[in-house]
Amino acid sequence: MVTGSRIRQIGWAVVLGCCFAMLLALTFKVNAVKSDVRLTERKIIAAQQERLMLETEFQTRASQHQLSDWNAVEFGYGAPRADQYLESETQLAALGTPRGIDAPSPVRVALNRPEREEDEDNGLLSGWIAASQPVLDAQTGVSARRELAATGLAQRLSNPVSPIAKVAEVTQ
Amino acid sequence: MNAFSGFGPAIAAGRSGHGAVSMAVASGRVQLVTVRQRTLTMARWRVLWIAVGFAFIALMALVRIAYLGASDHGSRATSFADALLPPRGEIVDRNGVPLARAFPAYALWFNPKALGEDGAPLVKSPEDVASRLKAIFPDLDEKKVAAQLASGKQGYIRRRVLPEEANRVQEIGELALEMPTENDRHYPQGSMAAHVLGYVAADGKGRVGMEQVLDDKLSNPATRGTPVPLSIDVRVQGALEDELARGMKLNQAQGAAGIVLDVDTGEVLALASLPEFDPNKIDARGQSLMFNRVTNQVYELGSTFKPLTVAAAIDAGTIRNLGKRYDASPVKVGRFSIKDSHAMGATLNPIETLIHSSNTVSARIADELGPERMRRTMIDLGMNERPYIELPAKGFPLWPGKDWARLTNMTVGFGHGIAVTPLHLASAYAAMVNGGIWRPATLKKLGPGEAPKGRRVFKQSTSSRMRQLLRAISVYGTGRNANAPGYRVGGKTGSAEKPGAGGYKRSAIVSTFAAAFPMDRPRYVVIAMLDEPKGTVASSFQRTAAWNAAPIVGRLVPRIGPLIGVRPDDTRDVDISDIKPLIPEAASE
Repeated sequence: MVTGSRIRQIGWAVVLGCCFAMLLALTFKVNAVKSDVRLTERKIIAAQQERLMLETEFQTRASQHQLSDWNAVEFGYGAPRADQYLESETQLAALGTPRGIDAPSPVRVALNRPEREEDEDNGLLSGWIAASQPVLDAQTGVSARRELAATGLAQRLSNPVSPIAKVAEVTQ
Repeated sequence: MNAFSGFGPAIAAGRSGHGAVSMAVASGRVQLVTVRQRTLTMARWRVLWIAVGFAFIALMALVRIAYLGASDHGSRATSFADALLPPRGEIVDRNGVPLARAFPAYALWFNPKALGEDGAPLVKSPEDVASRLKAIFPDLDEKKVAAQLASGKQGYIRRRVLPEEANRVQEIGELALEMPTENDRHYPQGSMAAHVLGYVAADGKGRVGMEQVLDDKLSNPATRGTPVPLSIDVRVQGALEDELARGMKLNQAQGAAGIVLDVDTGEVLALASLPEFDPNKIDARGQSLMFNRVTNQVYELGSTFKPLTVAAAIDAGTIRNLGKRYDASPVKVGRFSIKDSHAMGATLNPIETLIHSSNTVSARIADELGPERMRRTMIDLGMNERPYIELPAKGFPLWPGKDWARLTNMTVGFGHGIAVTPLHLASAYAAMVNGGIWRPATLKKLGPGEAPKGRRVFKQSTSSRMRQLLRAISVYGTGRNANAPGYRVGGKTGSAEKPGAGGYKRSAIVSTFAAAFPMDRPRYVVIAMLDEPKGTVASSFQRTAAWNAAPIVGRLVPRIGPLIGVRPDDTRDVDISDIKPLIPEAASE
């Protein structure tokens, strides 16, 4: 009995000791993490201050006075004029040549978009040349072929051969 | 230690084997043994003490380690949020562009006592140190700094030093060159909007502009973390200052003032008074330029008041027919005579009066309206009190007082005998074109729905009529130079002689152009004013507003319009077809 109680006492002491050691280890760990966090915070603060400094320097160098001086000397950009603005698609379309009253219906052309390899082989303009040639037989076996009406606004915008291209640049 | 203790008795036993040796020798031996033992004991104690000492130090180290590990020391020194809080709040424009910000910075301070009280303060010669500093700061005055270092007086060498420059100063290796951290208030846009912002004096308090107004908010730790947005738009402010400065130079004017005001909310988008000061560097010259011409200086603004007179007359119903012709001959009141600058015809209708800027007809219209109603309109437009704006420096108008004589009323009708600030005029024009509601001007950014209710001064119908008339002036009259194509600018010129000793000075005039755009749906009022312009080549040797102030607006509006939501459009305009038959210039088109 005596030995058993002794062992139990030692056991409790060992358990207590272990707990204490673990608590100590845990506290150490917690504080180590905390001090890591503090170190990181300090780094963040330093970075923020540096960012503020650089930002202010950028803004000082790119101040309105400086920019307008540069513009006066170097670039000479002016304010946009009224005729450089387009309000609606109707205005945009109005810039194209209107069809006369007795004008024939628009010529429908087929666009043959060549494959990429062909592009490289034949040069950059091959696609355009192919597109501008009217293809009478729509049943030829070329896969990437589609028809378009030359008057369609969207197609004309997407097709740089069309005179509307200039308008598209203006609206950008 | 055990080896010693075992050896001692063994020797003693060995020696005791020779029994025949004399007692004297024996007693000597015993003594020797005692001494040896005592010495040994002492040595043991010493070793023990040293061991205890080491153990104690080790224990202390362990306790210290445990303390450092277990206690969360130092975390309360500075909190993260505190460290990121600026020393003074930031001021930004309406789009968030910083106009004033503060950050910790370094200064370069000469402390001659850094190496002790006596002896030379510097290791190297003052000239050598000055030349090294010159290599870091190329704009440094080398001789001045060398003299300062040689004199041994403490003081700033530079107020602002960048971190990389600070590192290079450290490399010089002079302890007397100290770099204390200071709070730096920096204005990235330089002198732009200086009169709006003001500056921070050495005592850390704001002065002159919004720095002074917002001082509590900017320095309170609870509120300084969030930037304060102003109603100013940096781009508009830049363009306004640019064009005013250009106009000022071309016309050799003493000064210039300008304002861009939102007619529906009273927000000030730009406010400039030239010449301006640099808030980053306040010197004697800067101090002398702090006077704000827009809010503090009162001027007789002359003909720009004529549209207000006509608006008051239309509103009161004394002008019911715009075709009515008024006598344009000089008006005699007592011993005074009101004349026009040049003959404009025998009779004029109210539209021609504005287009040609006739003093005589304006005086007659004011006379017909009567002093009481004229005075009421001026009070409603806030002309009898300081302008409404947050800035601390606000000029009190020269107000004719309570009972207006007939002559007073007539002179006010064409903008004389009453002196107000350009800001008064801007608010009045805003009320005239926005549908008739007067609102106080503000430099704080207003959110949607935050615009003050204001008070009604003119009827909606009067306001619509005035839009037509103002547009007609800039299409057919003196405002033609301001008529930027596509922007539907409408406005009125004003050139008033400045009062001096013994009457008006013929040589000194104040020329103003008060405008609003776009007239079909007015959004902004623009005022441009030149103080004492001269007739130069640029203005075709004319001094009047049509030749110097109007072109400023004509150049400014296309620059700012697209930025603040007004697109040029040739296909739109306010409809003036109903008044065209009354304008000879339009009829001849």
